Amino acid sequence: MDELLLSKVRLGIVAALLNYDWVAFTELARALDVSNGNLGAHLSKLVDAGYVEEEKSFVNRRPLTRYRLARRGRDAFSDHVRQLQALLKEAT
Amino acid sequence: MERIDPAQARNHIEMVDRILAEVQPRLCSGGEHFVVWGLASAAITVTSHLVAQGRAPAAALWLIPAILAASVAFSALRRRFTQQVLARTSLVQREFFNVLWVTLGLAFIVDVAVFRIFPGIAGAAIWSVAEAIVLLYIGMHGNRRAQIAGILIVVSLVVANFVSQNLTAYVLATGMLVGYGGFGAAELLARGDELH
Repeated sequence: MDELLLSKVRLGIVAALLNYDWVAFTELARALDVSNGNLGAHLSKLVDAGYVEEEKSFVNRRPLTRYRLARRGRDAFSDHVRQLQALLKEAT
Repeated sequence: MERIDPAQARNHIEMVDRILAEVQPRLCSGGEHFVVWGLASAAITVTSHLVAQGRAPAAALWLIPAILAASVAFSALRRRFTQQVLARTSLVQREFFNVLWVTLGLAFIVDVAVFRIFPGIAGAAIWSVAEAIVLLYIGMHGNRRAQIAGILIVVSLVVANFVSQNLTAYVLATGMLVGYGGFGAAELLARGDELH
């Protein structure tokens, strides 16, 4: 299994990014119902691992940080979910 | 290496399912674009027809580039603004925007640069076809209003083919106005309802 995706928050982040192009930090925090600090820490790990791409910009002089799933993250997510499903199948 | 037990695995899969189930991206965000281009295409069609019929002075043709320039400027500004402020842009939405711009861009090029092959009212018909493609594409993703609007434009094309030549432009313009512009107005109204 992918160790990075064993964290529920990180798995949730990748799932939330799956069908979107770019998602704002605030929107991710709202969708996943986690604190900004917690989300930021998990996102940093995903960005460092090359699973997620980060883009920082300014809109109306306000900072806007957006994220999108990288190919590597998409592949890792697919493999990880497949393995979770296999584990469940073995257990039943 | 960390381990995960079946109960945790189930919990994680349920969370992923829940998140993915919430993902219902709206293909069309706002209807301003459709209102503006519906009005513009109808106005251009009627203006061209009135000049061709001699019911309006040739100078009225200058209205056409003015309307086109204003509409293009509006769409470009709106696109820039929308991209900046959208909290989420789904992959389906991005694909839709590509279809929208390619379809209308090609129709624009055909009208401006291929006018010898598609003279007069044929150019307006090309616009109608492009608008119908865009609306039916949105409709294919579950938007009933877009389906109806797209069908209305297709019907206007067929009707325009059979009415007298004096009425052809008006029928096409009505299709553009009611179909494309009307869809935009309906989307704006629906968005207003959602905000309340």
